[in-house]
Amino acid sequence: MSALADLLSSGIVRTVLMGAAILGAISGMLGAFAVLRRQSLLGDALSHAALPGICLGFIIAGTRDLGSILMGAFVTGALAALVMMLIVRRTTLKTDAALGIVLSVFFAVGVVLLSWVQGQGGAASAGLASFLFGQAAAILRSDLWIMGGIGLTALALVLALWKEFKLVSFDADFARAQGFPVTGLEAVLTVMVALAIVVGLQLVGVVLMVALLIAPAAAARQWTRTLGPMVVLSAVIGAASGAAGALISAASRGLATGPVVVLIATGIVIVSLLFAPQRGLIWQALAKRRARARISDGRVLTTLQGLAAAHSDANYPAEQGMLEAALGTRAPSATIAALEQRGLIQPVTHPPETTPHWELTAAGHIEAAALSGKHSPKSDEGTQ
Amino acid sequence: MHDTTLHEPDQALHIEDITVSYGATPALWDIDLNIPPGVMCAIVGPNGAGKSTLIKTALGLVRPVAGHVRFLGRPVAQMRGKIGYVPQRHSVDWDFPTTVRDVVEMGLYHQLGWMRRPGAHARKKALAALAELGMQDYADRQISQLSGGQQQRVFIARALVQDAPILILDEPMAGVDAATEAVIIALLQRLRDEGRTIIVVHHDLTTVQSYFDWLVMMNVRIIAQGPMSEVYTPENLRAAYGRQLAMIATPAEGRNM
Repeated sequence: MSALADLLSSGIVRTVLMGAAILGAISGMLGAFAVLRRQSLLGDALSHAALPGICLGFIIAGTRDLGSILMGAFVTGALAALVMMLIVRRTTLKTDAALGIVLSVFFAVGVVLLSWVQGQGGAASAGLASFLFGQAAAILRSDLWIMGGIGLTALALVLALWKEFKLVSFDADFARAQGFPVTGLEAVLTVMVALAIVVGLQLVGVVLMVALLIAPAAAARQWTRTLGPMVVLSAVIGAASGAAGALISAASRGLATGPVVVLIATGIVIVSLLFAPQRGLIWQALAKRRARARISDGRVLTTLQGLAAAHSDANYPAEQGMLEAALGTRAPSATIAALEQRGLIQPVTHPPETTPHWELTAAGHIEAAALSGKHSPKSDEGTQ
Repeated sequence: MHDTTLHEPDQALHIEDITVSYGATPALWDIDLNIPPGVMCAIVGPNGAGKSTLIKTALGLVRPVAGHVRFLGRPVAQMRGKIGYVPQRHSVDWDFPTTVRDVVEMGLYHQLGWMRRPGAHARKKALAALAELGMQDYADRQISQLSGGQQQRVFIARALVQDAPILILDEPMAGVDAATEAVIIALLQRLRDEGRTIIVVHHDLTTVQSYFDWLVMMNVRIIAQGPMSEVYTPENLRAAYGRQLAMIATPAEGRNM
């Protein structure tokens, strides 16, 4: 633990940690809207298309100035989104094909520019490569102001336009019919997602940025029922993954931050997909098993009831083999044991036969009647 | 700024010369339509006749190549919030993280205005609208847990909560159970009796006569419009549906579109 304390006492690490947490929170918050509006893959195209902009920003500014680099990333990202929209609208290509083309062409241009800049030499150009996979250690104290400013702006917009964003994300046609400026609201949301991507590039890099957008939202959706808690939880998961990733990457020198952040966020997604109540796979599997067991129990009880009715004897002893034949399948002995334990059936002997026989108890008759909707025969003999 | 000279104020919905085209073929061709206030009107026609496009154009969701639309004499931009719209149920993602009451309150967002959140008043109105459709017990449910008929009831409650004089519904009976259909029709007829105008895109010719009192029959163009008894004729049906008519005209066979 003292190693962690040492790490945290460093001002640089604190800066990196704070920057990573802010970036993760912004991505988580806006990612929730992007995922609900089915724009996750647009995020992927935007982040890959930011690479040429990063290089152009560097070339124009002549130095690694975060402001101009982010501006460049935003411009080429927006250009890519525009080209994609035009391809979908003007040609017969579908969204996925348009996305694939735009993403790879812009990324290719970015890599060409990047290698050209690096070929020119210069100490600063080396830092550009960190935009591929992210390098949290590269976050400077002055960068925090830009990230914090963008984060607060996004938060203020989400709070101010909360119900409008919710309505547009759920049912844009209805919102338009109500007279809301849907195109404007959608543009604000998309621009904010683009901004989140652009500021997140330093931390996660252009290649994996989309995961920081999708993963926190996907995990948060598993645990929440309404939009407010989902957005908050998504921001928290984003911040936690960002901070943890930055810390690990800083502790082991030179480890690219992006992959670490993405692995942490994805781990949270896997846990959420498996264990979340209601929506989790394990929860659903258990619920399904319970339901199957209940139905299978019910089938045994109603079969016994039917046999009793057919023989006008409430205490009709049914042989295990009869139960199996009536069910059309082997009644598992576990089911029978469970029913006996619940006091719904009881074993009886039916001499001269030596095989096990079963009859419904009084409670079993009530349960069977409730399940089948038919009354059990009156017990005119035997005990009830 | 306000248009004081109303155009055709005696019609709940007045459409003139509307043409809409997606690409080369027109979806709507030179539509002239008048629906008077206080009627319950069905819009019928074969698949691809442009029924949904017509109401989307009326609501300003689709931009026409030509023509204009007036509600009670005013352009739709001046009638925002006064027209209840029920889109097709499948147009949204029902796994969206929200509750039934929340969806119904969305019908009040326009009245609330910018920056204001729905409060106790909105909650009360939403619960009342849900009660009208027999859905009051579902107010706090997740919308992902609803059946198709329940989803449709929630959508109608969202339009109902606006207390609008005009209601426009896009295929509200598509894929709902008989009980829901009965609840919806009874509610719409009561709203009509209160003096509201109800406009419904409908696809079931076997029920159209018993449910509605006004009929618009179309197939890209308007075939006929007016009171049910005048419009629901074999000639008009043949004009709208063409060869499929043989199957429709004999309701005894139970075949519908």
